[in-house]
Amino acid sequence: MSIKKLEPAALNRWVDGILQKQKVYGIQARGDKFVFDQLDRADQLRLDYDVSVTAPKAFLQPPCETLLRFGEKGFESVVESEPFVLFGVHPYDMAAILQMDVVFAEGNPDIHYLERRKNATIVVCDVQNASENVFAGCMGTAVLESGGDVLVTRVGSAYVVESRSARGEALMETIATAPVAGARDLGERKAVWEKNRKLLRRHELKVKPEQLPALLEKSYDHPVWEEKAKRCFSCGSCNLVCPTCYCFNVRDTVSYNLKDGERERVWDGCMLAEFALVAGGHNFRKKKAERYRHRYYRKGKYLHDMHKQIACVGCGRCITACVTKIANPVEIYNRLAEGQK
Amino acid sequence: MSKPRVAIFDFACCEGCQLQVVNLEEELLDVLSVVTPVEWREAMSEQSEEYDIAIIEGSITRPEDEERVKKIRERAKILIALGACATTGGVNKLKNNFGMDEVRTIVYGKDAAMPHLNTMPTKSVAEVVKVDYMVHGCPINNKEFTYIVRCLVMGKQPVIPNYPVCVECKMRGNVCRYEYGEICLGPVTRAGCNAPCPSAGFWCFGCRGYVDDPNVQAAREVMDKYGKTVEDLKSRLLLFGSKQEHTDE
Amino acid sequence: MISSNTAQPMKDIYLPEPADVLKASPMTALEMFFEFRLASGRELGHMPGQFVEVSIPGIGEAPISISSSPTQKGSFQMVVRKVGNVSGAMHALSAGRQVGIRGPFGTHFPVDGEMKGKDILFICGGIGLVPVRSAINYVLDHRDDYGHVTILFGTKTPADRLFTDEMQRWASAKDVTFMETVDRGDDAWKGNVGVITTLIPKVRLDPARTVAVVCGPPIMYKFVILELDKVGLKADRMYVSLERHMKCGVGKCGHCQVNGLYACQDGAVFKYSDIASVREAI
Repeated sequence: MSIKKLEPAALNRWVDGILQKQKVYGIQARGDKFVFDQLDRADQLRLDYDVSVTAPKAFLQPPCETLLRFGEKGFESVVESEPFVLFGVHPYDMAAILQMDVVFAEGNPDIHYLERRKNATIVVCDVQNASENVFAGCMGTAVLESGGDVLVTRVGSAYVVESRSARGEALMETIATAPVAGARDLGERKAVWEKNRKLLRRHELKVKPEQLPALLEKSYDHPVWEEKAKRCFSCGSCNLVCPTCYCFNVRDTVSYNLKDGERERVWDGCMLAEFALVAGGHNFRKKKAERYRHRYYRKGKYLHDMHKQIACVGCGRCITACVTKIANPVEIYNRLAEGQK
Repeated sequence: MSKPRVAIFDFACCEGCQLQVVNLEEELLDVLSVVTPVEWREAMSEQSEEYDIAIIEGSITRPEDEERVKKIRERAKILIALGACATTGGVNKLKNNFGMDEVRTIVYGKDAAMPHLNTMPTKSVAEVVKVDYMVHGCPINNKEFTYIVRCLVMGKQPVIPNYPVCVECKMRGNVCRYEYGEICLGPVTRAGCNAPCPSAGFWCFGCRGYVDDPNVQAAREVMDKYGKTVEDLKSRLLLFGSKQEHTDE
Repeated sequence: MISSNTAQPMKDIYLPEPADVLKASPMTALEMFFEFRLASGRELGHMPGQFVEVSIPGIGEAPISISSSPTQKGSFQMVVRKVGNVSGAMHALSAGRQVGIRGPFGTHFPVDGEMKGKDILFICGGIGLVPVRSAINYVLDHRDDYGHVTILFGTKTPADRLFTDEMQRWASAKDVTFMETVDRGDDAWKGNVGVITTLIPKVRLDPARTVAVVCGPPIMYKFVILELDKVGLKADRMYVSLERHMKCGVGKCGHCQVNGLYACQDGAVFKYSDIASVREAI
């Protein structure tokens, strides 16, 4: 696997070369925030970004996608995806994508996600600037030892670019003759990793992530659920910005002949009032506090019970997105831990 | 229902929601392939006393309008309230914050006492007659309107979101207006518009009315976090939420 | 995870297969009976208690329990209450039309396992009878594999009773106790009046050799389980079928979650002892 050192100008030349051949969704500025969007030129890239407004999951499970088409001939699958590069994904978001890979591949594989995933080349980039609410350092996702196809790390005024898969190796073909990163560069990269593990902790989780399932196990009737849920809008913002949230709704749209149409999958969230409503009118999670608690349990326990991974990567987007500031997982988990002492 | 006959009536409003229907342009021809308009003052000269679906735009603000909408209801199998004036009373309910004499004087000055200028507190259509479906918004989202029309023709209950506008904002990748210290009514307002205002850099004005169980109290409690007061919030709520449950509690 | 584009295309778990409506007839004011056959001619291959997702193009998809026993070949049946868009559209179906089917999904009543050799106590409230009917007929079709069979059925009013013709057959079958009750009777009703739990003390059962199958509205379970507990039936001898919003049926969409369990995959049929401590279950 190649590991190169590129000066900024060389990195831009490399990216511009990729742009000639493939569609690239890269991290770039929009207003005073950062988003993943189609990249036209390498110099739009902002690898110094803090956090993207929307998690890059949107390129693998879009907010709205067509699953099926129907008409005279009945139903047919719609699996439309072309190769693309996702450039500049932070390690915590990559960790979330790795979790989504498991969810959509296990049991009943979901071809809509998997096809898109198969077409994606993901360039991970180590964090240069910590966002306001990131706590990936507490979740073990500030730095990712593996995952993604290429890892780009800023060291001093240059970048260390390492391929992590055959696909990444192919993406780096055009920089095959670039200088190999030396021991000193790798040492510096290691220092970046060490720094990030310490710095991406804007909120300090007082328990180890692996203790969360046991902690939650004991906290079902904790007063914090009621207390915080009083200020919940049931707006689902915490769900929708979350890189590990993947729950969805399905709906049919139909054209004016009332026969042809599409079945779409759209993002959904367990915090929304009608998430657990059944057709007869019974709502199995009617109270805000029940929904509020469910979200933490799903992240910290239920999905862990299934996949042995905490479904929180510490990106901090939920903390930012919640208008009433009740969605900080660190605050909640610390509070639960307090009661245990 | 095969090609239902549709009549559109306007009451107290700016007729902007009907205009949104006209603004469908080419798609309007598609709509006409599934329904037959029999009365529509803004777009045709014919009138009819027979229709399956009555679409009511505007609020009810005069006693004679109350009678008129009741007659329409009697004739219609399905009655749809079109736009905020009809669904909630909308901006017309601002009037209800004042006495009727005061309102007449402010608007008509020395002619205020003229009998034909008689007015009463604004009512939404549902406050006068049974409404089967609501097309929310000021103006309506015409895509939602056509969706509802197709649903009705298919015999399907249209699914109107009962979640806040925040959902659509997040799906569109918008940055929350509160991050810029603005009061946005998105968290308590029914989605379905696809968040055009926040997407264009404005706060949500709340034109689609509240979700079923809006947590307005939570909004009040966090105003100070954004350097705002409960009064600031109230003044925002009054535009589309005057004299409505949740606004004043 | 990353595989080549030439790989065999995977099956689309969301793609329904066509099924022909063989019969569609009203059963009560709210419920309609349907018989389907997969257009491919393939047997559905379900077990009692499983469900399918029924698609009406343009309307949507809904989880519906299968009501016929797998012993009945060539077709499968459902009874659908008109409660939403899909069920509403189904009520407009007639023989000769097509729907989309995905499934069968979920767990089943253990007719091929724990229920074998045991006395069986079926307790159904309202349309809870619909999935249980599959098990009842399965058991009666393999009569020698089971001990005594008791069927308790309760509805709100006599007008809500389902499968009244079949009940006659069940009631007169060998070694079967059949009891009914209604919450509110009418002038013509001569039978029991009262909620379904009032029937349980009337049943003579040997807890050591009985398995109970319970299905009904959410409110029913708590009270039935309490009564069964009183007569000494152990939690690991009770099976319940839980209703939830099973949107995808394949463990992805998240809607049907009951604490950490997916009703669509881990259920809808649960052994009660497995969910007794699952707080959202009952």
